[in-house]
Amino acid sequence: MIRGTVVGQVWATRKARGLDGQTLLLVAAQDAEGRPSGRLVVAVDVLDARAGEDVTVAFGSGARNVLRPGPDNRDLLCDAAVAAIVEGAG
Amino acid sequence: MILGRVIGEVWATRRDARLQRSKLLVVRPHALYEPAFGGLGGRHLVATDDVHAGVGDVVIVCLGAPARWSVGGNDTPVDAAVLGVVDHLDFEAARMSAPGAGPGISRPLSVALPGGAAR
Repeated sequence: MIRGTVVGQVWATRKARGLDGQTLLLVAAQDAEGRPSGRLVVAVDVLDARAGEDVTVAFGSGARNVLRPGPDNRDLLCDAAVAAIVEGAG
Repeated sequence: MILGRVIGEVWATRRDARLQRSKLLVVRPHALYEPAFGGLGGRHLVATDDVHAGVGDVVIVCLGAPARWSVGGNDTPVDAAVLGVVDHLDFEAARMSAPGAGPGISRPLSVALPGGAAR
């Protein structure tokens, strides 16, 4: 997973099956020091993260577990999802 | 997932049997999105498309194993699939323009305006 900051939202009416009604956020990735690294990712969000909040984003096959946990989620087209909203980091 | 713009289409009669149903689009990722394999063939990639995107559309592209499953299973020769066509995009400038943040706001916005002139 990476840490990042929510910087926006993407709207797409035409989407792959299984993603209807899901929120897609723009997340600016952070480097090791917590500064924006200059890279962006699009991530599915079911935790209702808001712009400006720090989040962790899970990538790859694991991201589908946010939408539908378990072995029968392989039909979901999703490779990045917000896994947690960060309240503090040491 | 990453954002990019569709810049073309690939036609192929001889293709893997499991790819027969899918359209193949050439997508140029926006500068701020760097797929892991981006250095191999320049700044574009080929993605399967089942949502009927067209040239000029800004699209969301899903990479890796989830893209394989979208065309039938983990044994398919695919690593990128178009997930959706972007209608609208909200982007908060200040978050990206902090010192050391790299490119500023103007470029992300320019790629994200559907039908706009900027690429």
